[in-house]
Amino acid sequence: MTSTPTRRSRRAEHRQGAAGARRTLGNTMIAYAFMLPFLILLVMFHTWPVLFGTFLAFNSYNIISPPQWVGLDNFRELFQDEQFWSGLRNSLKYILVVPVIQVISILVALLVNRPLKGIGFFRTAYYVPVVTSFAVVGLIWSWMYQQGGPVNTVLRTLGLASDDRSLLNNPATALLAVMFVTLWKGIGYYMVLYLAGLQNVSQELDDAATIDGATRWQVFWNVTVPGLRPTILVCSLLSTISAIKVFEEIVVMTQGGPAGSTYSVLFYSYSRAFQDFKYGLAAASSIIVALISIVFGLINFRLTRGGRSDA
Amino acid sequence: MLETATPTRPAAHPTAAQLRARRQRRERLTNAAAYTVLVVIALIMLYPFYWTLITSLEPTGNIYEAKLLPQSLGIKNYHEVWVGTTVPFWRMIINSMVICTAGVLLTVTCAALAAYPLAKMTFPGRDLIFYAILILLVLPNEAGLIVNYITVTKLGLLRFDDPFLRAFGQYAAVVLPGIASIFGLFLFRQAYLGVPTELLEAARIDGASELSIWRKIMLPLALPTVAAFAILEFVAYWNSFLWARIVIQDKELLPLSAGLLELSGTFSTNSRAVMAGAILMIIPILLVFAFGQRYFMKGLEGAVKG
Repeated sequence: MTSTPTRRSRRAEHRQGAAGARRTLGNTMIAYAFMLPFLILLVMFHTWPVLFGTFLAFNSYNIISPPQWVGLDNFRELFQDEQFWSGLRNSLKYILVVPVIQVISILVALLVNRPLKGIGFFRTAYYVPVVTSFAVVGLIWSWMYQQGGPVNTVLRTLGLASDDRSLLNNPATALLAVMFVTLWKGIGYYMVLYLAGLQNVSQELDDAATIDGATRWQVFWNVTVPGLRPTILVCSLLSTISAIKVFEEIVVMTQGGPAGSTYSVLFYSYSRAFQDFKYGLAAASSIIVALISIVFGLINFRLTRGGRSDA
Repeated sequence: MLETATPTRPAAHPTAAQLRARRQRRERLTNAAAYTVLVVIALIMLYPFYWTLITSLEPTGNIYEAKLLPQSLGIKNYHEVWVGTTVPFWRMIINSMVICTAGVLLTVTCAALAAYPLAKMTFPGRDLIFYAILILLVLPNEAGLIVNYITVTKLGLLRFDDPFLRAFGQYAAVVLPGIASIFGLFLFRQAYLGVPTELLEAARIDGASELSIWRKIMLPLALPTVAAFAILEFVAYWNSFLWARIVIQDKELLPLSAGLLELSGTFSTNSRAVMAGAILMIIPILLVFAFGQRYFMKGLEGAVKG
């Protein structure tokens, strides 16, 4: 969209000859001067990690001695490591949080989209967990989950728990307990995205359907959901990818325990790098995570395109 | 599909007043239901914070018990977390403030500067750079933590002996990787695109330099974006803990969020003091959030649409 005016003005300057060329050169230098600090840091901390990380995956490296090419050895070691597989399994299990978080966020967004008195308070309240650090959120929930703590009290009152152990200390429930924290912290974030998406849902269509006598439920399924479709796809992609990459919750709440039940694949990378100093192995496992994310991204892309063609 | 839905009409025609009353009654009922659900969700969202607050205010008692009011009141835990650790709490607050100030200033400036040529200047390579940055946004960066750690180590930022340089190097190591924000670049580009080009042309004819055009025309017009992005970045820097925990060598340089996890190790016998620390850590975010909420939400919504 920007290429036409660019080409036209460049041609105009070309016609003006040497003075024009000098000005173009000057302009170009000014333009690059504006972008220089950003570009340097971008290359250093965004481009370089992708390139060097890929390179490291095929090397043995511990920072102290130079990288040594080992070909596919890191991947071989990775695939033979039971810990890696259990991390990958847990990360894939974590994706179960995605549909739950999307459905709840859509319902919450619809609820706070109503012009009720004091709705601003509720929107803000639901957003508070989003702006709070995982360092704090993780600590708060590990206290809430303690033996005799609020969570167990509620669960026992509802008749849902018989044993008073912290949910985080029980291998059967630890992953679910961590997933609940992700859900609790994420709802407000997706709620805001869905609220923005709801602005794009045509109000006239909604009203027309209502006047035609469609029930609320029919309006929801036939007008709101199709209108939200692009937002739903973006949000589920975002939350699927962050589910695969689940990490901070685990660092704060469980450190992968108990008995490896919350060990995630990025926690595996982190431990290999910063505890065992096996940077090559860690990079290899990061690449697997990246590849899985790309696959999910492509699936989402296909779905989005499918959505457009049948619209 | 919608046209096929046949409207159902009641056989006897009620009067307009009856209809209105019925509609009002139904509305009141759905509103009551909506408020009930809203309150229940708000309780689930806020009770953990409230519970932490009241527990942190109790000097003694049954610590993890579910409660609605504190059983006793005192600021003992706050006193303890303020003075009682290897790293004083005020020191961690200073660290957080240094990191946040430097981080926000540099991130906002870098993005605001870099977005200007991309939005309002013509030069060779512009589209190329823009698409290259777009691709970076999509490329996976899982090795970021590992490679960036190697990079800041190789830059020598973690190896100074002089105490001042040592602190400076470690602060820089925390802040640097976050400065080039692609998200911020997009936000500013979007804001600049809305500025009429005639305004810039006029200034250029008057002989204004590009830098002063940026400072005197673009930046003031993009002020809402500056505010929104600054708030987002403040929250991000204040909350980040993992990277700081990885790169910071000297415990007394840890920012609050990373320090809090250290505290929970130190105070394993007194979780109440850590709770006090957690509450103190949340307060600035809540203040910034309360004052900047409107910008904040707009910044997020703009990001979704843009």
